[in-house]
Amino acid sequence: MKITDAAVYPYPLGDASIRRLALEAAALGFDSIVAADTPSGTYGGVEVRSGLMIRDVPLKDVISSVKRSKDSGKVISVNAANNNFNRAVIGLKGVHILRGIQSADKLAFDHVAAKMAADNRVAVDIDLSPIIMGRSVARQRAIHRYMDIMVLEQRFEFPITLSSHARSLLDMRNVRDIAGICSLIGMDVPDVERALAGVGTVLTAPKQAVTVIA
Amino acid sequence: MSTRPPTLREKRRYILARIEPAGTLPEQKELYYAISDATTSLWGDATTAIITPAVVALEYGHVVIRCRRGTERELAIALSTVTACRDVRICLRIIAASGTIESLRSRYRPKKIPKSKNQPAPEPESETTATVADEGVEPVLPECTFVKKTFIIVQCNGQKVDVIEKGFKNTNRLFLTKDDLENLNATTISDRI
Repeated sequence: MKITDAAVYPYPLGDASIRRLALEAAALGFDSIVAADTPSGTYGGVEVRSGLMIRDVPLKDVISSVKRSKDSGKVISVNAANNNFNRAVIGLKGVHILRGIQSADKLAFDHVAAKMAADNRVAVDIDLSPIIMGRSVARQRAIHRYMDIMVLEQRFEFPITLSSHARSLLDMRNVRDIAGICSLIGMDVPDVERALAGVGTVLTAPKQAVTVIA
Repeated sequence: MSTRPPTLREKRRYILARIEPAGTLPEQKELYYAISDATTSLWGDATTAIITPAVVALEYGHVVIRCRRGTERELAIALSTVTACRDVRICLRIIAASGTIESLRSRYRPKKIPKSKNQPAPEPESETTATVADEGVEPVLPECTFVKKTFIIVQCNGQKVDVIEKGFKNTNRLFLTKDDLENLNATTISDRI
């Protein structure tokens, strides 16, 4: 099990180089990070996975982007929009993570989408930045939405990932802090452990229910 | 008014946190306001009153925060939501919790090296540095280049290098490593400035 931060943004999107982010991640207790627009590698004992974050584009462009990057080894994530869009994205082969569910509308992720996510092994990302940096209504909305996601997760058991969306070293939090923050949305320690290993879960092929021996 | 006997006093706990980025020196009062704001925003007035956060020490880039016993977890979560202190971006990394301030101080105070008889006399270089500092002359900070821009190194600790772009337009701190600079054909820098 690899403890992974599912989204960080190194320079030029943020103010820290990928090597520095990796050093900091190691100090904070992470084994790997998913970095946007960065080649894969290992720095300071931390595995850096290349991430493709698709956002604010129509479904047609999402499909073409996913097709282009299907076998590139990148962690492909798509920003959530309305319900139809989300269902279509979850059904796409090659998509690993559905992000930004806290900013989508209230009915964007329902029980049908949850069932589809569980069947297709598409993770739903929990972005901790609105809880860490947000105040008042923005934070309350995010907590409420995540609690709703956790209710669906308990029922359908789709994968969850946790991300800091850090654009700086100062936005990153250690694993213990993350566990504390996640307790605000009703996640206990086993839930947090499972969520931190969520990227590894969606990237490994599922075990076949039936194995043909001979 | 006489002080209460120890058995009647409320039990306290102390949390030690490191202030990042290194070299940031916020005022104790400002930091208290930032922590109090974060706690009130997250837990509300009623719970904050129970936690009663207070900054009791701020030295060597570390802060000791007092709270009521049993509320360490709540305070720790609130501390992880502190992102700025008077418009300066900071982050508090919790190191330890303890029942006494002294045990926390022993964690961050530099240990005194016992004087031995065979110890050589202090080098004259340190005297020169002190004289320069006394005269108020600022030391010239080493420069480096990164993505074809010139930066001033403000902090260097092991592999970690913090830089600020030279000039007055962009004063944001960038967090790099020595490898980043070396790959970009920058100057070689020493561990200490």
